[in-house]
Amino acid sequence: MNRYSIACAAFVSLGFTLAASNAQEIANPDQWSPAREAKISPVTQDELNAADKSTTNFLLTNGNYAQTRFYPAKQINRDNVKNLHVAWIFQTQVKESLETSPIVVDGVMYVTTSFSHVYAIDAKTGQQLWHYAHKMGPVTTYCCGPNNRGVQVLGDKVYLATLDSKLVALNAKTGEVVWTTDIADPEQGYSETMAPTVVKDKVLIGTNGGEYGIRGFLRAYDAKTGKLVWNFDTIPENSVGVWATKDATGRDMHRDIQAEKDQLAKIGDPYKRLGGGVWQNPAVDLAANRIYFVVGNPSPDLDGSLRPGDNLYTDSLVSLDLDTGKMACHFQYIAHDVWDLDAVSPPVLVNVQDKSGKTIPGVIHAGKTGHIYVHNRKDCSLIRFSEAMVPQENMWTLPTKEGARMLPGANGGVEWSPIATDPGQALAYAINLHQPMTYRVDSSPYPNGKLWLGGAFTAIPTEKQSGNITAVNYNSGKIKWQVKTPEPMIGGILATAGGLVFAGEGNGKFAAYNSSNGKELWNFHAGAGVNAPPSSYTVGGKQYVVVGAGGNTQVNFRRGDSIVAFTLD
Amino acid sequence: MHECHVTIAKAGPVAAPLLFSLTGMKSMVGNWMGMISRGIILGALLSAAPALAQGVAEKVKVCAGCHGQDGKPIDKAIPIIWGQQAGYIYIQLRDFKRGDRKNEIMQPIVASFEKNDMLAIAEYFAQKPWPNLGQPRSAKDVAQRALSAEHSVGCTGCHLEQFQGDGTVPRLAGQSRDYLAKTIADFRTRARGNNPGMTDLMRATPPDDLAALAEYLAGL
Repeated sequence: MNRYSIACAAFVSLGFTLAASNAQEIANPDQWSPAREAKISPVTQDELNAADKSTTNFLLTNGNYAQTRFYPAKQINRDNVKNLHVAWIFQTQVKESLETSPIVVDGVMYVTTSFSHVYAIDAKTGQQLWHYAHKMGPVTTYCCGPNNRGVQVLGDKVYLATLDSKLVALNAKTGEVVWTTDIADPEQGYSETMAPTVVKDKVLIGTNGGEYGIRGFLRAYDAKTGKLVWNFDTIPENSVGVWATKDATGRDMHRDIQAEKDQLAKIGDPYKRLGGGVWQNPAVDLAANRIYFVVGNPSPDLDGSLRPGDNLYTDSLVSLDLDTGKMACHFQYIAHDVWDLDAVSPPVLVNVQDKSGKTIPGVIHAGKTGHIYVHNRKDCSLIRFSEAMVPQENMWTLPTKEGARMLPGANGGVEWSPIATDPGQALAYAINLHQPMTYRVDSSPYPNGKLWLGGAFTAIPTEKQSGNITAVNYNSGKIKWQVKTPEPMIGGILATAGGLVFAGEGNGKFAAYNSSNGKELWNFHAGAGVNAPPSSYTVGGKQYVVVGAGGNTQVNFRRGDSIVAFTLD
Repeated sequence: MHECHVTIAKAGPVAAPLLFSLTGMKSMVGNWMGMISRGIILGALLSAAPALAQGVAEKVKVCAGCHGQDGKPIDKAIPIIWGQQAGYIYIQLRDFKRGDRKNEIMQPIVASFEKNDMLAIAEYFAQKPWPNLGQPRSAKDVAQRALSAEHSVGCTGCHLEQFQGDGTVPRLAGQSRDYLAKTIADFRTRARGNNPGMTDLMRATPPDDLAALAEYLAGL
């Protein structure tokens, strides 16, 4: 149900006291920062359509509608990146997990923090322009940190989705609330952490809640009014599917199909509480007028006994018509998932070679399994999958009462971290986690919006964890290069026309690598986990790279509150 | 990927459920008997917070009898609710009313509460300062054991880095050790049945580690 309301009661911290709602938030952070106008021109749809060519702005969470995270400026390049230095540091005073993708419009940067704060910052100096502190409702339900991954700007509005499951449009110049819409009931397990994708006057938004027995969705709201335009339930009323016994790579998943069929006859289709969250941005194919996104895990995560069938469209790539929300195609990676190895990292639209070597429009997704999957954009069919980027062992061992060891661990592989691509090299760059875990099943009935795991996945304390950055040729599926990191990696990556990729680590290191061979060319230690996707932009004739350093809740990396921008002399 | 919740309840006409609970408590745990005999609940009833809106003020009077007039519970097995997360308090009150969480004292008290009452009571206690029970910091070996369990299960994914909680997830830092230990035990046996996710996580953790965790959290 969507309750729709327009709330013009602006809550912008125009320099007055802000009541802290959480210990990680500072009371009255803006005492000495009076609000100033963010002087931007309205962002047009044409500008958004051409975001992949802009060497000044950074307009979408993953760079552009195709979500390539390939930034076309090359002032910062392999030859001079060794001279990169800090331009400014902005401290938000919200010291919690920081996953924002900075958005830059006309020299104004918009970043968000945990607990759904938004800051407008002068992108040249790092000075605060305004701060929106969302008045959070008392009930929030989320599993993996009070994260927020950013905003998008269209026209004169900034769009934000909040932890208490509201969609908010702000005045981009002042931060005042223009309208607010309730998306879903947080008491039932719904929350928002993703940045909206705004296209053709529609605000596209999914939902978290796969650990709470929600029924997932992707929706389009009217960008001007906040009214619902269409809704797509990620779980259809017939969620049974084809009783697939093998995953996308052809491995047997050890399903007991007869037992599932018996259970289906007994309890019926479990679609109402089957999960299927969408909490990463859809890619938009402007030419075909279609969107592509991935759907997360079924509820409960580890207990398949309560949800017979393939659990469509969990763990799937899904494509919809942008205007109507009608489904165009889908591809399920893991049917009846009982490991939470779902599909999370946002898909990317690039041209790829099909099996015959012909170049066609493709869509690629990096899985928690550690594979990069390459699809035909037309029908979602799988063309190939890459070599595994992380160790895989005992796949697909079923969870047991005692706990069964299997690799990858439930965070991946590639978690939510967006990948980057360099179409000129046909390379996809992904950051990975290696966390040996045991999978344990313990059945319990639906708990009315409470955490519903159906067991537990636990890291094995005696086994070493690590991470890596991996470049994969998506036309061959072969790994081109890989850089090992001492800790699991989560946050995202950026590629640039300067022949570089930028990525951060949980220990605070932020580094630039040669995008062709993985050689490290520069690094900086930020003092807190760099677990956010970097962005780049140009202002005053100088290119910058910017990233959040605030650590991560899910993997428990050192918290901080900094947005750090780098440039050359 | 992990999480948990808890809660309390709210009040309608508080006096009636309170009296009911007082008279009905004779058969309950010894601690409660002692408490009643000392007249603590009655004392709490007579000293309500005057600044509060009348309705809520009336309803929260009863709470001090067990949870403490100064926020320090009168028994170690009773949780601190002063300064607790409002969303958590609300959900617990709701669950007592629904019967999803069982407690012979709390369930009659919340029986007549409506949602708005529960939200108001939750907010009232959330605004109170968290009391310091003066529990000792855990020894180094205990802390290491606790943190090892935390890393394995990922407690901070929901309770956050400083175990302060947020929204419907409770603060654990500085909570009564006995209450924490009892709650963990109750999750494991499903005696505390209103959060199966927590049951899963507690069952996946060795009991010795959980004991260390309770001691560690209490000392924060």
